[in-house]
Amino acid sequence: MNENKNLTILLVDDEPIGIKVLERTLKKEGYHVITAYDGPTARTIASKNQPDLILLDIIMPGEDGFEVIRQLKEDPRTVHIPVIFLTGKDGVDSKITGFDLGAVDYITKPFHGQEVLARVRLHLQLSLATNTLISSQADRLRQIKDAQESMLVSPEDIPGANFGVCYQSLLEAGGDFYDVLQISDDIYGYFVADISGHDIATSYMTSAVKALLKQNCIPIYQPAESMRMINHVLEEILQEGKYLTACYARLNRKSETMSLINCGHPPAVYIPKNGDVELIKLMGDVLGAFHDVFFEVKDIHVRRGDRFFLYSDGLIERPGDKNVWTKGLEDLSNACRDLRDMPVVDAVACLRDVMHQKTKVFEDDIVVLGIEV
Amino acid sequence: MNVTALSERLGLEKDEFLELVELFLETGKSDLGQLKVAVQTEDIEEVVKSSHSIKGASGNLGFMEIFEVAKDVELNARQDRLDGASEAVDTIKKHLDQIAIEITGETA
Repeated sequence: MNENKNLTILLVDDEPIGIKVLERTLKKEGYHVITAYDGPTARTIASKNQPDLILLDIIMPGEDGFEVIRQLKEDPRTVHIPVIFLTGKDGVDSKITGFDLGAVDYITKPFHGQEVLARVRLHLQLSLATNTLISSQADRLRQIKDAQESMLVSPEDIPGANFGVCYQSLLEAGGDFYDVLQISDDIYGYFVADISGHDIATSYMTSAVKALLKQNCIPIYQPAESMRMINHVLEEILQEGKYLTACYARLNRKSETMSLINCGHPPAVYIPKNGDVELIKLMGDVLGAFHDVFFEVKDIHVRRGDRFFLYSDGLIERPGDKNVWTKGLEDLSNACRDLRDMPVVDAVACLRDVMHQKTKVFEDDIVVLGIEV
Repeated sequence: MNVTALSERLGLEKDEFLELVELFLETGKSDLGQLKVAVQTEDIEEVVKSSHSIKGASGNLGFMEIFEVAKDVELNARQDRLDGASEAVDTIKKHLDQIAIEITGETA
């Protein structure tokens, strides 16, 4: 096939015959093939040559396949490359480990040439489809020009999400934004963002972000995948130097799990029903500025009555001290502790007032979003 | 040995396949030599290593008889057992010789 000519596959196996067999099989179909005989070499090549797909052996001396994929998925330059495991083991455990670490598929050795080609083709197609989806979403968004305020959800709109919100926009085109989505019967998404700047382009951005959330916060995507997809589109449509910080929380009521992601945003506050207030500090890149991004994900096992607060930096910043959150965060923790018995719907506004007492000046937009499990 | 079937299974031309088989015979012979010594000296770690490598290479080319024998040796050795290992060395040797003869026939 002609379209294969630019597609590059990285083969990693310590067994030379296996590499040669696969290399020939793949080259015959027109793929460009690069080979590596050990993990560290494979990672260097992956990051430098950016292959479209990696076929990775699990059992190798030194760094094994599990360690290689773990490191590939932690590296922003290689996280997006689909990895198929080559495994001699037929144990279910090793397959599950592979999938957990982010492999898209596995091929059991000894392999059959046609099977390898079929799986390679399938995953390359999926990966290309994802990329096409990103550019087509970006195209569509370029044409959206909706009003901003009408886009904000109120708690009555999604009663199952059980949240309270306090939104205050300083200027006409506010840079703060929040959204709450029902992803499935038991899964809800909560999103708070601060878009750099306060101009018309910013207000247009909020509608774009809203649409992006709807398109990408869906059951088939893990939270980090949703954020990565959104980042890719934003990167295409945002002007140079523009970006947004955000906090995304996904609550699965069935599995009683809250997954949190932080994209360069102040830490979310977690108040377990029977425990002390905790700030969830997570690493994560801002959205829309870089092509390759990394997001740390924290899964918290939650119980009924546990609370979370997501907010924008306006809540904790104080005049003349914009870049230091330490004191603000301490005040916020204390305030959340004091308000723990107040219904979450009322607590959000109270939280803003308490914090305002400390700062005296509203310098920025403020969003406070409270969630009760 | 059905060269045509084995090559087709891998999606290779016959001559490509035969080239790889020759490579396999070379590496297989050296791996088998190591395996033999390791079994005699009861060097478990080396037995695992060389049988794993024979298993992988033979499996990749579709020589399933060798693959199965090498797999048993590797599995046993991983549980600290070497029973049947020296018979296995002989069996693998026989298969390798057989393949070598057939290859010569094919390439001639």
